[in-house]
Amino acid sequence: MSSRAPSIVTRLAAHTLVYAVAASMLLPFLWMVSTALKTDLQALPREAAGESVTFLPPGWPWEWRWGNFADAARAVSLWDFYQNSLVAAALTTLVAGVHNALAGFALAKFKFRGERAVFWLVMSTMMLPVQVSFIFAYIAAGRLGMVDNIQALVVPFAASGFGIYSMKQAIASVPDSLLEAGRLDGMSDLELFWHVVRPIAWPTIAALGIFTFVASWNSFFWPLVVVDSVHSKTLPLAVAELSAGRYVQSWPVRMAAMTILTLPLIVVFMIFQRAFVRGVAMAAVKE
Amino acid sequence: MRRRSASPYLFLAFPVAILTVFTVGPTLLGLALGLFDWSGSGPARFVGLGNYRSLVHDSRFWPALRNTLVFVLLSVPPSVFAGFLLATIVQARWFVGRTLVRTALFLPTVVSIIAVGVVWRWLLDSAGGLLPRAIVGVGFERSPDFLQGGPIVSWLPWLSWPMVSLIVIQVWRTAGYCMVLYLAALSGVNESLYEAAEVDGASRVGVLRNVTWPEVAPMTAFLMVTGVIGGLQVFDIVWAMTSATETDSTVTLNLYIFREFQQSRLGYSAAIGGVLFALTLVATMLQLRVMRRDAA
Repeated sequence: MSSRAPSIVTRLAAHTLVYAVAASMLLPFLWMVSTALKTDLQALPREAAGESVTFLPPGWPWEWRWGNFADAARAVSLWDFYQNSLVAAALTTLVAGVHNALAGFALAKFKFRGERAVFWLVMSTMMLPVQVSFIFAYIAAGRLGMVDNIQALVVPFAASGFGIYSMKQAIASVPDSLLEAGRLDGMSDLELFWHVVRPIAWPTIAALGIFTFVASWNSFFWPLVVVDSVHSKTLPLAVAELSAGRYVQSWPVRMAAMTILTLPLIVVFMIFQRAFVRGVAMAAVKE
Repeated sequence: MRRRSASPYLFLAFPVAILTVFTVGPTLLGLALGLFDWSGSGPARFVGLGNYRSLVHDSRFWPALRNTLVFVLLSVPPSVFAGFLLATIVQARWFVGRTLVRTALFLPTVVSIIAVGVVWRWLLDSAGGLLPRAIVGVGFERSPDFLQGGPIVSWLPWLSWPMVSLIVIQVWRTAGYCMVLYLAALSGVNESLYEAAEVDGASRVGVLRNVTWPEVAPMTAFLMVTGVIGGLQVFDIVWAMTSATETDSTVTLNLYIFREFQQSRLGYSAAIGGVLFALTLVATMLQLRVMRRDAA
């Protein structure tokens, strides 16, 4: 930012500091993978094992035990958790994407009775903590037959105050002249949305989609409340139970399961990091 | 031109229904439930402020409230400030590897907090974790128990080792998010402001304090307010790090709410929710007020 570049010493120190912080972000994940490849004895060389406590156990597994992954897959129904998380996140993204965009379109480009009331309802939901609402949201979900199934993880998030507000802001910038031209061509409001609004608002729709997907994929509190049986559990629920040693005792096997559960998202994030940052950071970046 | 037609009702009907049934309605009912005694089945008994009176004498509630406040006060400002400092370095023209650093620092934001917490639980595990071993390895007689230990120093009984672990991990986890948002804010700062300050002979720290910091004040406000709200409602990381070894030294309001819910003491759970709601509201308004005064 400064046009005077600081001295080489300052620059080196600054780089060292920032890279050390960046490395600290990666270390836990590297440790997870390296543990996943160790035998129990390598992970926990203790006096009990007839060894003296040495300085750091070697980070590098000196005998790669790929079997941990097979053990993990046998002990935990990883595929079910994957499927549940993936289906819930994809469905939520799709359904919420459509509804938030249409609702945003309505609030941005139409005049109607009760407009202010709807707008304030939407705004207020952004400030209400789930810890106050979850009891009756749970009861409502139960009445609607949505307990312990995928619907319970999707329907309550089929629209969101933040999503509607973001879409309203984005769609407000669509020129009215384009909409008028479309109407003169005889387009219905739905056709206008699809052919005129959607292409222009696409960057926001995409960013919001990533935001919704990540939020759903990582959500924990609500699934913990509504999901009971093991066949409906999502990844974070399974991970939490793994950590408490519910399925397996061995740390290497637990870390193998953790690796299987988290690595795909990490890889996807690395590939699309720009889009992710945009999506997750959009709450603040678009003022 | 905005139009009148039936379409907006069509477009809004379902979203409004969802928000009403799953958020607004349950919030209002939840706040009301705090005044009742209810197990989830059978009739609810109106107890007025009885639940709140019980809270005052509840030996579990005070630690939960204290821990929540300690967590917020010791984690939010450091992570926002660290994010600011990191952003000012990474944003400099001479900085090499911006994308790489941004990717690394954003990683813990994208990965589930639960997963992050579990990995940390293993890093800090007293039996085989990396950190306790490293501490013994460099010659200390024994490592503190980061997950189940007592107070760090006897005269601060509320600051236990597990609490410190939670706070440090929270700062570690959120600093990158703050940095990324500050980077966005910094890119909007007019270059000529820096040049003017330099012409005036301002030092590097002076520019940072008197030009950069005030320019990104709206972002600081945003990060502080959302950070405090998120911190008051902290749940996931506490659950990942302490479930099964839970004690009063790390229980937070939100965790207590959930435990009471599990015990089917719904009225009492809702009353604690009411306290959390009030705290959130007060903290938000206080902060917005302070920020507005500073900006003026």
